[in-house]
Amino acid sequence: MENPISRRLFFRHGSLALLALGLPPEFVTRSLLARTRAAARKKTLICIFQRGAVDGLNMVVPFGEKAYYQSRRSIAVPQPGGERNGAIDLDGFFGLHPSLAPLHEFYRRKEMAIVHAVGSPHPTRSHFDAQDYMETASPGSKATRDGWLNRVLEHTGCDCDGRTLADAHAHAADHAAGQSGLGATASETLRGVAMGASLPVSLRGRHPALAIEDLSRFGVAGGRDATLESAFQRQYREAGDLVASAADEAFDAIQQLRAANPAQYRPSGGVQYPAGEFGRSLGQITQLIKADVGVEIAFADIGGWDTHQAQGGAQGQLARRLDELARGIRALYDDLGDRMEDVVLLTMSEFGRTVTENGSGGTDHGHANCMLVMGGAVDGGHIRGEWPGLQREQLYEGRDLALTTDFRDVFAEIAADHLGASALDQIFPGYSPDPARYRKVLRA
Amino acid sequence: MRRVSGEWAGWIMAAVMALMPAAAAGQRVAGPPGGDMPGGVNDTVSAVHLLRRATFGVRPEELAMVLREGRAAWLEEQLHPESLDDGEVEDRLGWFPSVLSSIRDLVRDYSPPRPGPQPADSVVRPDAQSMTPEERRMRAERSPQRILVDLVGAKLVRSAWSERQLGEVMTDFWFNHFNVSFTKGQDRYLVGDYERTAIRPYVFGRFEDMLRATARHPAMLFYLDNWTSSAPDSAGDALRESQRRLMVDRIRELTPRQREQMIRNGRITREQLGQIERMAENGPPPRPRSRGINENYARELMELHTLGVDGGYTQADVVNVARALTGWTFAPPGPPPAAPDANGRPVRRPLAAGREGEFIFRSQLHDAGEKVVLGHRLAAGRGIEDGLDVIHILATHPSTARYLSTKLIERFVSDRPDPEFVDELAAVFTRTDGDLREVTRALFSSPRFYESQNIGAKVKSPFDLVASALRVTGAEIGPSRQLMETLRGLGQLPYTETAPTGFPATSEEWVNSGSMIARMNFGVGLTSGRMDGVRVNGGRLGRRRGGAETRAAETGTRETRTEETTGTGVGTVLEEMVARVLPGVDGSTLVRAIRADLEEQMAKGRLTQRELEVRAVGLALGSPEFQRR
Repeated sequence: MENPISRRLFFRHGSLALLALGLPPEFVTRSLLARTRAAARKKTLICIFQRGAVDGLNMVVPFGEKAYYQSRRSIAVPQPGGERNGAIDLDGFFGLHPSLAPLHEFYRRKEMAIVHAVGSPHPTRSHFDAQDYMETASPGSKATRDGWLNRVLEHTGCDCDGRTLADAHAHAADHAAGQSGLGATASETLRGVAMGASLPVSLRGRHPALAIEDLSRFGVAGGRDATLESAFQRQYREAGDLVASAADEAFDAIQQLRAANPAQYRPSGGVQYPAGEFGRSLGQITQLIKADVGVEIAFADIGGWDTHQAQGGAQGQLARRLDELARGIRALYDDLGDRMEDVVLLTMSEFGRTVTENGSGGTDHGHANCMLVMGGAVDGGHIRGEWPGLQREQLYEGRDLALTTDFRDVFAEIAADHLGASALDQIFPGYSPDPARYRKVLRA
Repeated sequence: MRRVSGEWAGWIMAAVMALMPAAAAGQRVAGPPGGDMPGGVNDTVSAVHLLRRATFGVRPEELAMVLREGRAAWLEEQLHPESLDDGEVEDRLGWFPSVLSSIRDLVRDYSPPRPGPQPADSVVRPDAQSMTPEERRMRAERSPQRILVDLVGAKLVRSAWSERQLGEVMTDFWFNHFNVSFTKGQDRYLVGDYERTAIRPYVFGRFEDMLRATARHPAMLFYLDNWTSSAPDSAGDALRESQRRLMVDRIRELTPRQREQMIRNGRITREQLGQIERMAENGPPPRPRSRGINENYARELMELHTLGVDGGYTQADVVNVARALTGWTFAPPGPPPAAPDANGRPVRRPLAAGREGEFIFRSQLHDAGEKVVLGHRLAAGRGIEDGLDVIHILATHPSTARYLSTKLIERFVSDRPDPEFVDELAAVFTRTDGDLREVTRALFSSPRFYESQNIGAKVKSPFDLVASALRVTGAEIGPSRQLMETLRGLGQLPYTETAPTGFPATSEEWVNSGSMIARMNFGVGLTSGRMDGVRVNGGRLGRRRGGAETRAAETGTRETRTEETTGTGVGTVLEEMVARVLPGVDGSTLVRAIRADLEEQMAKGRLTQRELEVRAVGLALGSPEFQRR
């Protein structure tokens, strides 16, 4: 048949979203098995999106600010020291919410950096819009249909200079011509994965990306019905067009995952993920990484952050969410062990929350927020960014933490320095990331 | 947009032609003068092609009718939907009560639960923790999300069951063209009415009338922010802003008990308090730019609704169109917020009372200065006429005819519209002054529509797929979380596209590797009977049910088959099922591909006859052929 490489590069269609409906499989193997990039120990980025606008001021607490305590009579996290429930001191001014205790060690080991007062310059306080803007990394523009992580995949996909990426035909020809230097025999379909039933906006786009709900039960009819799956495969093989090649890629990914069987990897000694969807997602990401199927970007989200009422301070609603977040990340970190050398984990949220608590013991939609950056490559043990202060005149619109770092600068640094992306102006449309603006969250 | 290489195009073309033997022979041939429509291929292929594009799913009965009456006659009937009885739909909308509600009723009945503790004398709104499962369920029933469940369900019902298929298809097209999103704030209450009053009635009327209707509708005014657009330094601007801040700051300073006290003293109603608290929660409404004008709608009006991005307008035009549309706003759907008087007592503005959710032109916000839009001078000192004139200018602009024609052809004919076809259709548009009935007729009658390279060349969007599967299986549709999840997972949950560009129309956008598996799974899942809220009856697949049969099925009485499945051979059953799901299409490839599987299942005694049929249909719904249109 034709050159499998040019065919694969050709039909680099978009997202894989597998709805699991059933049971485990057996399958007729295809000749195309993945040769992964395991040997090259490629880098991985894990993005965790806290949906609903987490209260960054209670997550990483500016206990050194008097205004913090003046604005939050009932929900402020107490100062470190004295009480059991106090913030965990990080640098004499900022502290971690006590529920984030499981992550404190990484800060001490200098493997966790925090960026504060970071976010999107766009004024919207709509969850939908702000999440879209962050996931497409194009605040204010609804014209960008694909996600930034998909564009990162596209621009870190192969060893060419990316000149011809915009034209699939020319790109394939480019590679067909200079095949020898090509490392891209690994499957494209498993480089980007998201945990869940459908692909998040961040990973949508031209490059294949996979949404997995349950690793042990996926494929046609949940992989439960081999003959059904074969029957479909036969149908699609004969179809011979756009529809068929897309299905081809999908069966290919299913096959690879089955062969690699990530579900065989149990958590390393003693590691326990928190119960619930988030813990399960992180557990599966770990299995995928251990299975060496070539995952370079993994995505999970966690909700429940929209604390308009009864948020609580050191304890309560927010504290419980932070506890789940921290225990999940901790478990993943411990489970991956020394593989964390090659992994960067990044948290994000669409915007922050108001400085002043509202009349219902909660906070409302705000502006700037904080991000955690963790991993072996991280230059940790610091709070990065410029702290604008919480005096009323220092606030955004007189109510919110002001922005001093554009989230794209954090994204760009990680894309460029950890994942090796070039062409940053294409990954961040309408924005020119500049290394001079990076917050230096990664070690040089 | 990716292009298929020459090498591949040849192979694809060969494959398509292999599957459609009749197509291979086709050239564009003019039909007999005065006879049925011209078509380049034989009658069945043309009829199937027409039905695939002009309906939400081809049914054997309908195909037979088209072959009998001729395509022109069928099309003509469809172009006059009011002449077609739609009892099947009306019967089935009962599952989705909120779609018949007015905007005001929706706001009243489906408001989100209020935050914070409630005093004893409030209307029953217990705290989440203290609710019984029944109360929780009832609260979910009354949440705004329920409106979306109903909107989507009703749309699926119409798409699957309506006799007015072309009307529904075109309502879908034009809604998408004039997209608004349920997900944006107040639009949740406005979207249903928008589709019902600003889109559907106009799909075979004049384009300019539809354009005006959408421009006036609160859903669009809110979605694209025109409702706060006001002339620079207009008195209303500053006043509203300061009133808002005053209210919000005042309320913020009060404890919940004090707020309750205000209600008890009659200084504010609970609803007004709720509104202000929501304002506090969502932040101040969009801060007007220094000049008070919001350009968002003006830009999209030209870029997306009429001229197209290359239609020849400038930034100055955007500004002037925005100026022309200042004052085009609407009365909030709920009771209007009270502005405090000198003593701090809330005063209800009488102007908006009784007109909640309706368009209002506020002349005090209008920029009445002279403007030039696309070379037309709009005199100073006028009011709503400025906006009406702009709408007329845009609707009749030559670029609009071309832009709309391109979109229609892209959706209904080919991912790569033929420029000559665009010219042809645009000429009809211009000649008929934007008569959409004429344009639609021309679209589906043109020999270019029937050119062989267009046949079976597009892929169903996720909604097309789900609707057609429901339609060909004669499924009964109730509120279904799984159907919504399927649509959401495939990226096309109706009414929720947040971008004003609407859902994409090209196959490439939908056909990607992952969605293929999801489509196969959907086909299998639907027929398995395990999808909540949906009932597909294996034995009667594809057969239309009348009232009596439907009721019998619902009460679970034994269905009587008026027609026994002749022969129990797998091949026979298979061919019959495929013929029901894919009428008029050569199903031999499909049959061949899945026959082995089914025979194996039967031989091992794993399937009953009924299960065999279900499986066959599931495989057919997930087949490549069923993905095409």
